Amino acid sequence: MPETLFQKVWNRHVLSTTDEATLLYIDRHLVHEVTSPQAFDGLRLAGRKVRRKDLTFATIDHNVPTDDQLDIRDALSRRQIETLRANCLEFGVTLYDIQSGHQGIVHVIGPELGLTLPGTTIVCGDSHTSTHGAFGALAFGIGTSEVEHVMATQTLWQGRRPRSLGVEVTGTLPDGLEPKDVILAVIRAIGTGGGTGSVIEYYGPAIRALSMEGRMTVCNMSIEAGARAGLIAADDVTFEYLARKDRPFAPKGKAFDDAVADWKALATDPDAVHDAHVTIDASKLVPQVTWGTNPAMTVDADGRVPTLGELPPALRDEAARAFEYMGLTPGTPIAEIPIDVVFIGSCTNGRIEDLRAAAHVFKGRHVAPGVRALVVPGSEQVRSQAHAEGLDQVFIDAGAEWRQAGCSMCLAMNPDRLQPGQRAASTSNRNFEGRQGPGGRTHLLSPSMAAAAAVTGRFTDVRKLLAR
Amino acid sequence: MKVDDTDMKPFIVHRGKIAVLDWADVNTDLIIPARYLKRIERIGYGPLLFADKKYVPGGSPAIDAPESHGALNAEFPLNRAEFQGATVLLVGKNFGCGSSREHAVWAIAQAGYRVVIAPGKNEGFADIFEGNALNNGLLVIEVPEADWKRLADAGQVGGVEATVDLKTQTIVVHDGRVPEPKVAFEIPDVQRKRLLQGLDTISETLQYESDIARYEQAAPSWLNAASA
Ligand code: SF4
Repeated sequence: MPETLFQKVWNRHVLSTTDEATLLYIDRHLVHEVTSPQAFDGLRLAGRKVRRKDLTFATIDHNVPTDDQLDIRDALSRRQIETLRANCLEFGVTLYDIQSGHQGIVHVIGPELGLTLPGTTIVCGDSHTSTHGAFGALAFGIGTSEVEHVMATQTLWQGRRPRSLGVEVTGTLPDGLEPKDVILAVIRAIGTGGGTGSVIEYYGPAIRALSMEGRMTVCNMSIEAGARAGLIAADDVTFEYLARKDRPFAPKGKAFDDAVADWKALATDPDAVHDAHVTIDASKLVPQVTWGTNPAMTVDADGRVPTLGELPPALRDEAARAFEYMGLTPGTPIAEIPIDVVFIGSCTNGRIEDLRAAAHVFKGRHVAPGVRALVVPGSEQVRSQAHAEGLDQVFIDAGAEWRQAGCSMCLAMNPDRLQPGQRAASTSNRNFEGRQGPGGRTHLLSPSMAAAAAVTGRFTDVRKLLAR
Repeated sequence: MKVDDTDMKPFIVHRGKIAVLDWADVNTDLIIPARYLKRIERIGYGPLLFADKKYVPGGSPAIDAPESHGALNAEFPLNRAEFQGATVLLVGKNFGCGSSREHAVWAIAQAGYRVVIAPGKNEGFADIFEGNALNNGLLVIEVPEADWKRLADAGQVGGVEATVDLKTQTIVVHDGRVPEPKVAFEIPDVQRKRLLQGLDTISETLQYESDIARYEQAAPSWLNAASA
């Protein structure tokens, strides 16, 4: 029977299955400081060990101050970080600690280290684990009880096998557009619940044309469409990324060649069918900006905030609350909305290509008066790569703050956050109320669009700046 | 085996007051704001439920002092006097979307709710939230939209109780009408059994040790993360 990529990876990991429940083997378990302390406590109370500490890897990302990583002034953040250190020591788990050279956002460092491999199952107590699906891995977020379960057993129970949703992206992405515009357009098309109960497989020429960084951006936000995971079949772009010398955990030599042969066989069979299917034409897209409080509330950068009457009745209540929270008048042109803060970073857009795209716009320009712009690399490795390319100087010359690695302003857990009422142009993934700080207002967009907002002080279609 | 109040209590039948939060796409950041995730405990989350909505601006509890808080926000639906002490929560579509934080389920359960009911098969709850709820003995039920509306309308009156029976998979509303409004629901058998018995999943899974070991022995060498 022809099978999809998702079905193949799933089937390989089934240890036991009935119609309603399947026990899956988990090949990689990534851990961070926020969702793990209660899991380690559970193990301790029951006298259990981490079954495969060699497959379990931890880092510190959510709480880290990015102005000075070593100066963790918040006592509770410090306690949480120290708890992870103590737990990793006690249970024998490898920790990529601050200034180890590999610290960073968990979904940035997994691929960098070569831990993320095609055909594997990867979990983490974090919903954006979907990022790793860019390599053709089945990767999804889990809760803390499940973190404990995976630690103790290296397995995970799943209910019914998720449906498979095919998202085909045809055409060629126009100049000035980025992978972020693709995924925002997908979420806008299928809605925040469009992927619930499903795993999305992205395919088509516009996906093939993306780098690994771009594919990670796309898979990262699968969860914003409600999907458990996003997948892209591995190809030569993937193999090249994994063959690089600085991927310590990727297979080497003959093991690598064997693995590649195996990975190639995982692609969706030509006549396999997805349970549902959506097509997006990349060549018709324009830059996307969210206006509201969920990621499907997205419009074209040259468009307007919608009016209630333009929205389907079922969405109006939520939209009315969003107008109020966001402090926006329905019908306002996006290009007329001034911003206070720009955040470039996160597990969605904190990789080297994102920084290059932003630097391209910043070069020779300056952050607008009254605007604060933060550029935060997703990992220590991204940071040193940016240094090697001189990007840091571009940001600094433009008047942006060049930071150390961490989740930073993606969520309000560390010192980088919005003040009530502040409006941000952010390359992160969630524009929920309060996500970047209580009362903060978030608009999601691509790194080059964020840089364009920084230098003009309002949302500006970046193509206008680049065309100059 | 966890010694705390999120311990898996068996769920069989429950009678309690209904509260209604008729909002779609309630995300886990709203259910519990990220700053409270700095806590490393598994308890104390009850007062933090909807902290940035429940209290007036600036009134939400300090992270390390959940019981201390400012005035309640009168506008927030769950603050209605008739909803106080409710244990059956009716919510809108795609409830629990966003982050995987289990703290969202801990907050709901520790605020006293035993059952959450959302509209639409496969649309009511976000996937990870649903799994987390099950792992904590919080019963989450998806019912057809029309049934949800009947329950919500009855609940909006305030002070109305319902009985949720997991054995017969029915919800009965005690609002004085004769016959009492009744709604059927379905929970997959495996989940139902686990809820009814309050099983410890890890010890259950450890019985599959030979399957786990077999997978590990058959794994190709490149699967074993060895750094070079
Ligand atoms: S960058 Fe944001 S979304 Fe990504 S792991 Fe950190 S907090 Fe979560």
